[in-house]
Amino acid sequence: MVLAPGYSPLSFTPPSSGSYSLPTMGSAADGTVLDSDGKVRQLHDFLGSKPTLLSFIFTSCDDVNGCPLATYVMRSVQDKLLANPTTAESVRLVSFSFDPIFDTPDVIDAYGAQFRTGNFDWQFLTTSGADTLDPILRAYDQWVIRDFNAKGEYLGTMSHILRVFLIDKDRQIRNIYSTSFLHADTVANDIQTLLLEQNPAAQKTASDLAAKR
Amino acid sequence: MIRRTFFTALALLALLIQPTSADETCMSPYMAKIVGQEDYVYIWTLGLEGVGDGEDKLVTVDVNPESDAYGTVVHSLSMGGRNEAHHSGLTDDRRFLWASGLDTSKIFIFDIHSDPAAPKLHRTIDDFVDKTGGIVGPHTNYALPGRMLITGLSNNRDHGGRTGMAEYTNGGDFITSVWMPTDDNLQGAVKSGNFADGYGYDARALPRRNVLVTSSFTGWNNYMMNLGKMMGDAEAMKRFGNTVVIWDLHARTPKKVLDVPGAPLEIRCAWGSRSNYCFTTTALTSKVWLIYEDDDGEWQAKAVADIGDASKIPLPVDISISADDNQLWVNTWNDGKVRLFDISDPFAPEQIMEEQIGEQVNMVSQSWDGERVYFTSSLLANWDKTSAAEGNDLQYFKLYQWDGKSLTPQFNLDFIALGLGAPHQMRFGAHALYGGEQAQSPSGLASPPAH
Repeated sequence: MVLAPGYSPLSFTPPSSGSYSLPTMGSAADGTVLDSDGKVRQLHDFLGSKPTLLSFIFTSCDDVNGCPLATYVMRSVQDKLLANPTTAESVRLVSFSFDPIFDTPDVIDAYGAQFRTGNFDWQFLTTSGADTLDPILRAYDQWVIRDFNAKGEYLGTMSHILRVFLIDKDRQIRNIYSTSFLHADTVANDIQTLLLEQNPAAQKTASDLAAKR
Repeated sequence: MIRRTFFTALALLALLIQPTSADETCMSPYMAKIVGQEDYVYIWTLGLEGVGDGEDKLVTVDVNPESDAYGTVVHSLSMGGRNEAHHSGLTDDRRFLWASGLDTSKIFIFDIHSDPAAPKLHRTIDDFVDKTGGIVGPHTNYALPGRMLITGLSNNRDHGGRTGMAEYTNGGDFITSVWMPTDDNLQGAVKSGNFADGYGYDARALPRRNVLVTSSFTGWNNYMMNLGKMMGDAEAMKRFGNTVVIWDLHARTPKKVLDVPGAPLEIRCAWGSRSNYCFTTTALTSKVWLIYEDDDGEWQAKAVADIGDASKIPLPVDISISADDNQLWVNTWNDGKVRLFDISDPFAPEQIMEEQIGEQVNMVSQSWDGERVYFTSSLLANWDKTSAAEGNDLQYFKLYQWDGKSLTPQFNLDFIALGLGAPHQMRFGAHALYGGEQAQSPSGLASPPAH
């Protein structure tokens, strides 16, 4: 098993924040979700007003280069943001489960408690079922293949293309990361690039998040 | 009819970390991969006047030996005209196949997931030139995470070789475009030698080095010209690319322009975790070139082998690297041969095999396990040969079995006799990638529609 690059130190020097552009890739879609308290909410309640990192996961995923990678990277990004007082409250993380069968609000709440530090704005969401889940997955082009046996019984495992979305304060998708290029350093730099867009004057005072370990 | 389900021998490897043996490794590292036996080969085919309906088309051939339709055309979808059909590429999730035309600059997006045996047209991009600010001739359709990178060959100002690249969402919406660096606008790149021509052709990414590598061919004025006329035009023959550009993949900014004279075409990068190099071949000078990162972290280019006798203009075209980075298949269009090089020492490739495939040969694609090698014949409408010597095939799709030492023919489809046209780019398809009937909804939870 070869671990994804996101688990190791970055093997190259990334371009510095603000030295490149992140073109808009379209609007981040809305949908009906359940938060970790079980309340019915809109996905857009958790997108907008500040840059947001959105990942699609399921808590029982045992592929180390799949959902665990996304959560690992997001936790690393959380750590970097918390290390800088100017950014600790400037970004949101959202982990969205596409397994409503297993990932009930209680399960997703307990899962999130393992990774969220204090009151950091890291939200864990799920849905009530396919009727609310499918429109969201379709909008974000997330297709899941579930494993069934010859009798048509669900085996509890599934496969999907790992994608993590960087969404700006205006709910525009600005980058998409997959396994080969999901790393906390580059993600953090992209987040800082968006923050510099919002506040260009901060470029001379804000430290590069990638340097915070 | 769905013949295979997701719990058969063919399994989806959704995340590519470990390379495997196949032309699958010649595609984007961001892409979902097929493991095991492929079910179909999708062949983007050039329409030929007087051959069938004369239209460009996507041809689907059944290549699963367990199928009753093995080795036959099971579907064909015509595009209503001729666009100079050339290359195609899959989205990272393999749900859509993008196929482009070098003349009309149209891009056709095919749905290959709803029924892998019968692709259907999902969307046509017919404003590529306008949206991109004048890029003409979409060539490589390359998967990045959630989007496609499209390289150009020309421009709408002078139809010469200066060009750029564009990015689109997987759904077909324009994102951005960038022009290749030139002498008068290097865009911050270092010009390492004599050339900064601004030409384009292919692109390949090395994500772990944050590098994108692009090559250079020629513009519309040349690739749409009759080959004989072009080769007799001294001025036209000067207008070929001589560069490979190294880009910052994340920032999409050019970093260095390397001299690779003689029209470097296809790029294939090594997959070893410490193999920081790629290969390309030069069409006009008939050489294998190594594009590599040196010990100081600088990217360099070096000619490392000859391909045939350059004085006979064999014209290297498509290449295919093995997953273990030890072998490189090299097709030469003009003499119709494939050559296999041992590249275990990338600085000293050695030819170990040579085989006549047809009167002309262009594309080569390997199966996932390396045991099957497919070939097609067509290069460009105004360059392709129109007659073949006795015993040679002219326009074909062929499968060979490769046992590590020799190629054994399996089947041969004559695309002229079948009324199809001139076959070009091949891409693989498989039912198991999409979960069969139970994947009609994104979550796989809703009941599939009743049949």
